[in-house]
Amino acid sequence: MKRNVAIISVGYNGRFVSKRPDINIPELIQPAVANAISKTKLKPEQIDAYVVGNMHTFEGVNQPHLWASDHFGGAGKPVMRIATGGTTGASVFQAAYYHVASGLYDVVMAIGWEKHDEGDAQVGLMGILLPEAFSMFNFGPDMSGERGIAGLGGGGSTGGAAFQAMSYLTKANAGIEHIDRIAALMRSNAAKNPYAHLQQPGCTEADIAKTPIISYPLRYGHTCPTSCGAIALILASEEKAKKFGITDRVAWVKGLGSGSSDAATGNIIEGQITDPAEQYMCKVVAKKVYAMAGIKDPKKEIQVAEVYSGFSHQDLMWPERLGLVDEGKSPEMLDKGAFAIDGELPLNPSGGVTSTNAIGASAMVRVGEAALQVMGLAEGGHQVPRKVENAVAHGWGGLFQFVTVTVLGRTPVKK
Amino acid sequence: MNERVAIVGYKQTKHTFDSPVARERMIYELVKALFAELGITRDDIDTFILASNDFTDGRTISEVFTVPRIGAYMKDETKVESDGLSAALYAYMRILSGLYETALVVGFSMAGSEFRAPLIQSYTLDPVYERPRGIINYYSIAALQANAYMRKYKFTEEDLAQLTVKNLENANNNPYAARKEENPSIDKVLGSKPLYLPIRQAHVSAYADGACAVILSSKKMAKKFTNKPVWIDGVGHFMDTYYIGDRDLLAMEHLSAAAKKAYKMAGIKNPKKEIDLAEIHTNFSSEEPVFAEAMGLFKPGSGKDVVKNGESRIDGALPINPSGGPLGANPINATGLIRLAEASAQLRNEAGKNQVKGAKTAVVHAQDGPGAQLNTVFVVRR
Amino acid sequence: MTKEINETKVIESPWDLTTYQWKIESDALSLFVKGLKDKKILGRKCPKCGTVYVPGPTYCRKCFIDIDQIVEVGQEGVLDAFTVNLSDIKGNPLEHPYITCTVKLDGSDSYLLGILEGWTDWKSVKEGMRVKAVFKDLTQGALSDLSHFELIK
Repeated sequence: MKRNVAIISVGYNGRFVSKRPDINIPELIQPAVANAISKTKLKPEQIDAYVVGNMHTFEGVNQPHLWASDHFGGAGKPVMRIATGGTTGASVFQAAYYHVASGLYDVVMAIGWEKHDEGDAQVGLMGILLPEAFSMFNFGPDMSGERGIAGLGGGGSTGGAAFQAMSYLTKANAGIEHIDRIAALMRSNAAKNPYAHLQQPGCTEADIAKTPIISYPLRYGHTCPTSCGAIALILASEEKAKKFGITDRVAWVKGLGSGSSDAATGNIIEGQITDPAEQYMCKVVAKKVYAMAGIKDPKKEIQVAEVYSGFSHQDLMWPERLGLVDEGKSPEMLDKGAFAIDGELPLNPSGGVTSTNAIGASAMVRVGEAALQVMGLAEGGHQVPRKVENAVAHGWGGLFQFVTVTVLGRTPVKK
Repeated sequence: MNERVAIVGYKQTKHTFDSPVARERMIYELVKALFAELGITRDDIDTFILASNDFTDGRTISEVFTVPRIGAYMKDETKVESDGLSAALYAYMRILSGLYETALVVGFSMAGSEFRAPLIQSYTLDPVYERPRGIINYYSIAALQANAYMRKYKFTEEDLAQLTVKNLENANNNPYAARKEENPSIDKVLGSKPLYLPIRQAHVSAYADGACAVILSSKKMAKKFTNKPVWIDGVGHFMDTYYIGDRDLLAMEHLSAAAKKAYKMAGIKNPKKEIDLAEIHTNFSSEEPVFAEAMGLFKPGSGKDVVKNGESRIDGALPINPSGGPLGANPINATGLIRLAEASAQLRNEAGKNQVKGAKTAVVHAQDGPGAQLNTVFVVRR
Repeated sequence: MTKEINETKVIESPWDLTTYQWKIESDALSLFVKGLKDKKILGRKCPKCGTVYVPGPTYCRKCFIDIDQIVEVGQEGVLDAFTVNLSDIKGNPLEHPYITCTVKLDGSDSYLLGILEGWTDWKSVKEGMRVKAVFKDLTQGALSDLSHFELIK
């Protein structure tokens, strides 16, 4: 007999923004925690355990949850820290799920955050490969001018994403205009989400196309911002969900999984053996998660998808790799309006990661937003106008190799 | 759901102060050796959990190149950015849920050669108050705690030295320990370099390059791996507040609470009688009496008697760190997992020269954060 | 609850990466540059699954075994994913855009990173085109020995 676990509350610290020079990390986290609790009948001390995580090298504070102990309520409680790169937020949520699913705890809070204004994101990102890069210096790469730098990571400041984008466009027989189009959709969706960072109401393809190309086919308008913000989710067992939820609207965790495959691009050290747009592991994990969730035909049974795209072309790619759209068919779906909030497969009604990216939070925001959609509680106009039976939340990270998939639903899986 | 989970395999590296190989090769060789010993492949493992930290690895998303090295290529994996025992706790939860049957947990760091532990630990201090103030660090916290204990309970520097010697002798008999001291003696310990009195260099754990791998399994799959499973019968973990001024470093009430929770789950009413040995994660030997007492293994303040009567020695009433503990090897993220591996070895009668006779029940502890802010406790049984 | 902030203090605190002395396993790169000196492209092949890694580490991540079968792969291959660098890091348009590409050389299962030459109009470059590896005239056993990939007309 497996234990049913539900997300009973989603809390944000406020709108995600570029800078919060008036507060520090613990102060960033606290309002998200308080907000999540306020949407339940819980008193703070009734939370049994906490799972937390962020990408701490971005702020230069090792394990900041230790410092934030009193601000999030962890002092005197069981606390565990999880961190897995871009998928951190989802990994934290999944760990919180297992805290409850194991039977050891009944009410667990998952918290993800990032405070990008306190560090240099470029340094943080470079840090992924820094030792390997240094080692390469021993092997005499060409450092002359731009060619040398390109030899290290490829793709300019977009890194490997540009390769992935080019490969995707080739596979899908699509053009840069499709990336422009979906980027515009995301920014205008974000304008309907009071918590999103970059909100551009009525953003059009032309607006995005005005931004310069960094590394073809990626433009400035296709890249995610760096945001400051925090999100907290409260998970509960079936019994406690009834006791502490304010309404009977909760989002049941029906399936979840993670996978790790090839570091693609940047793996000049050990051989890159997949094309970055293949994302085979995403397909494998999605299949496993749908089976767990009792979903036979994801194209028909999933009503909303929140996918993690650091760059806009990924918003076209992930729905295909997740089996929600046939291979190469996302541009078509986009063009016929299927991905719009009122379309047949609403994609990132929240505006997605290209509108808001606080790395440690982002993958959890996908789960939180999917939960809000299932519960019918998304604010500001980004709630999809139909009953959401199932929603999928996806996370991605590392050097294109980590993936997490979660399916939430209105009703738990029949045992 | 699964009701019982066991440790069905374990292995640790011969820890060193300067590994001849990079971390990737170190953990790859370790996991390969463990698989070979058990006659299994990476396909027999449902989920992989790493215990490592970007700050100790010196790179962002430090698991990018280590994930395939533990056999998790194209597999389900995650990372606990804390001590190795927390990672084992997460693996335990995953198996209890019934969604997984087997898990591999690997903890490692290159704390001996790639960085100086105190420097990296300083990043855990908040940048607003403690870091700029520059007074608090892991060493000075241990000194505050040791001073408080010594003053309250008349525990002397000689007592502490004797306790330290006990650990160093145990480490000498431990083939995996990095630190080997010829003829450890009280005089040598008392004569070692003072750092933050009473903390001296000899009291400091041996930050080392090393790794530990442990395989957990549900009861129904255990036979595939071993006929000597070590059952996880109780767990508990709690985190204290961050600010040192608000903490009672002697009472260590959150460590106490974690131990009590684990004992309750394991049905242990009298730990002093029912526990056969303890493997405790001490960053400094001065932590040993404080932690052992907080865990209910000895009467509060009995440190002096425990040392005089040899109660915590391998042949004593309740051996503490028969492996030598972190004083022998402390690869930080691996250390908590090593405690679990050592305890498992003891219960399976595989601890060689460090064997505690007739060991059936052990308590295992790991800490994380300044002054053991976070504590995890397991009770394991054969 | 928040009162008006008149002054924000900024405290600088670096994550000093010079405090680390990393050990790197360099089997793959050592072999690679050794080959480059002789104007060859060398990798390692897994005898079990047949995957050819370039650069070639001494273990196969799929089979989880040690490997040391050195293989030479072809000097020609297929252009896979690539990108056209049109702006610098600040967004200023580059006078001479350049193409960074990944190439799967014949016989290799791996994609190598490099610069692409032999084109005039970047819009006409497509995945799937044939390319050849071009070495510097004088090689010294360094990564820079492999100068670039060139489109084969």
